[in-house]
Amino acid sequence: MTELLTGAHVMCRVLLEEGVDVMFGYPGGAIMPFYHALPEFPTLRHVLVRHEQAAAHAADGYARASGRPGVCVATSGPGATNLVTGLATAMMDSAPVVAITGQVPRNMIGRDAFQETDILGITQPITKHNVLVQDAELLASELREAFAIAREGRPGPVLVDVPKDVQNQKIEYEGRSRQHQSAARASRSVPAGSRLFPRACGDLREAAELIATAQRPLIMAGHGVLLAAAYDELRCLAERTGIPVITTLLGISGFPESHPLHLGMPGMHGEVHVNRAIQQADLILGVGLRFDDRVTGNTAAFAPRAKIIHVELDPSEVGKNVPATVALLGDCRTILRELLRAVSPRDCKDWRAEIAGLMKTRTEQYRGDLSPEGILQVLDEETKGRCTIVSDVGQHQMWVAKLYPYERPNTHITSGGLGTMGFAVPGAIGVRFARPEEPVWAISGDGGFQMNMQEIATMVQEQIPVKMAIFNNGYLGMVRQWQQFFHGRRYSATPIWSPDYVKLAEAYGVAGWRVENAGQSREAIRAAMAVPGPALVEFLIEQEANVFPMIPPGASLSEPIEGEPAPLVSA
Amino acid sequence: MSGGLTLSVLLEHDLVTFTRAVGVLRRRNFPIKSIAVGPSATPGLARLTIMMEADQATADRAARQLEKIIGVREASAFPAGEGVARELALVKVRAARERHAELLDIALLYKAAILDESADGAILEVSGSEAFVLSFLRALEGFELVEVARSGAVAVGRTSGSPIPVTQTSEAVQ
Repeated sequence: MTELLTGAHVMCRVLLEEGVDVMFGYPGGAIMPFYHALPEFPTLRHVLVRHEQAAAHAADGYARASGRPGVCVATSGPGATNLVTGLATAMMDSAPVVAITGQVPRNMIGRDAFQETDILGITQPITKHNVLVQDAELLASELREAFAIAREGRPGPVLVDVPKDVQNQKIEYEGRSRQHQSAARASRSVPAGSRLFPRACGDLREAAELIATAQRPLIMAGHGVLLAAAYDELRCLAERTGIPVITTLLGISGFPESHPLHLGMPGMHGEVHVNRAIQQADLILGVGLRFDDRVTGNTAAFAPRAKIIHVELDPSEVGKNVPATVALLGDCRTILRELLRAVSPRDCKDWRAEIAGLMKTRTEQYRGDLSPEGILQVLDEETKGRCTIVSDVGQHQMWVAKLYPYERPNTHITSGGLGTMGFAVPGAIGVRFARPEEPVWAISGDGGFQMNMQEIATMVQEQIPVKMAIFNNGYLGMVRQWQQFFHGRRYSATPIWSPDYVKLAEAYGVAGWRVENAGQSREAIRAAMAVPGPALVEFLIEQEANVFPMIPPGASLSEPIEGEPAPLVSA
Repeated sequence: MSGGLTLSVLLEHDLVTFTRAVGVLRRRNFPIKSIAVGPSATPGLARLTIMMEADQATADRAARQLEKIIGVREASAFPAGEGVARELALVKVRAARERHAELLDIALLYKAAILDESADGAILEVSGSEAFVLSFLRALEGFELVEVARSGAVAVGRTSGSPIPVTQTSEAVQ
């Protein structure tokens, strides 16, 4: 059975077949045929954002929370280029996103037509794959392939660029069953990198041997644990071997934080005992992480005594930043299962006692009584740990990472690799669609919030009950902190004015509260959770609060700054 | 060839895949000396040869990055000594008629073909290792070189690759 359909209808059909239930987008000239067809598919919910960047972040948030590809849609030219930051964010953090863009008609490509841009060229380095579909006959297979590529192996964003006349082109559509195996699919080249290298049994034995004999072993768990949902496997392996677990920024919520084997976050803002443990370790079992510079500090001085077992899906990551003694290639779940069978029980008691000796109870020091720590503690109590937190980028991101106790899998979502300010608010919109039953908090600083606060309108129009928290210190705080530590307190371009956020919320028809002292936190958080729709809470925190400890950029993990630098001596 | 690494890449023969491959080498800052591309023995696939001034580990990292590209079928790196590399150069030389004999002598010495000859010069073709081609160009220094086009090296590893099915080879040759 074939039907005569336009390319636009084929696109909608394929989205349905791929199980898409929501997409985030913004219409425009070159994508109009698609939007013309869309109302005929009522189960394909479309969320109109206020800026295409937000569409990409929302698709990313949806993908991270659901594990399924998130979809964003934009028109050609400026619509497509506005997706760029969001796609780069998804690429760096391995989130499966499918971006669909309209393109000028085929006969106008290359003539600098109105709203024409080479989005394929622009997004080539920041997508896992991208394609310009030049014939509606190929549309179904290319779109399906886009979903498959986004999802399979190490996930990532895929962009599909569709000229307007291809969207209007009528073709005989055969439906999923037959076209699925059509010529285009058959000719698909399997990316060489996704072919996993045969894992020699010797490697697994060697890894098990290293784990059995190490005196000071550590597990460093990254985003790969969340991507493979290897939570149980990670916990079992840690418990079977007694090896303490460190979670990287994107590995947070991959391992319950109340667990006695949980150590904390490593790296630039990692706790001192975590970084010290790394520097003393004789074995690091890295699970699904890429040893980013924010994690390792100076790589030459990173874990100088340690052999490294690198559990990794992407062969290009092995040896990229740190040399691996043994590489176990595959998804974390599979590999950890194999490792579990191969390792024998032990408990690493002496080593854990040694680490415990490194721990200092560090009380965060703030001048005002409204501390980030206090706010996050109240948030934990009021949500009873049942919420997903989407953070932005900067100082608050580090506080949110370190001071909220994540117990449930995949409940901490943030832009790690690219460090995209403005991610939290639109990201949380996507997360909420993946978790309609769960409270979702978008926590931003006053800088990042102002980068995408236009999306409050999206929440109102589409009735998306995201709760927004703003940690307002009147500065671009992380940059200010660097200026304080490394640039002689020259606060160049970091003081930032904010509007009255409560009035702003009101203007959008959203409930808002301002919290100026610790006593008001609980009431405001409770009230925000009680309103059915979106809500906003602004916390006026200390202006020059700093994130401690801190490893200066390029320094080794052994050189933390643990407290306020000495005041400058005036000349 | 002295030192260096050869990256041999089999990829889909289209501009998009080619720019992806070249793009990843550029943005990851791999030290590339030359790039040559042309059809392979398999229809629809091209062979890309990249010469790198790098150690084996760096070249392997480049190969792993290339293999992530959709459309790249295989990528492998081998030291120059483990393969055979050749490049081709076309050289347009200006020479007065009385010096043509001298030009011919150099061409003979380097087994260079004379593709075109006119009253005021010639176009020569030479192939060989990079060092050989450079030596040839130096030998011509006494003449006025009007234009030089070098192909960049293509290379075949002694142990790399796998047999190509006969049917594909014959198709490719037609």
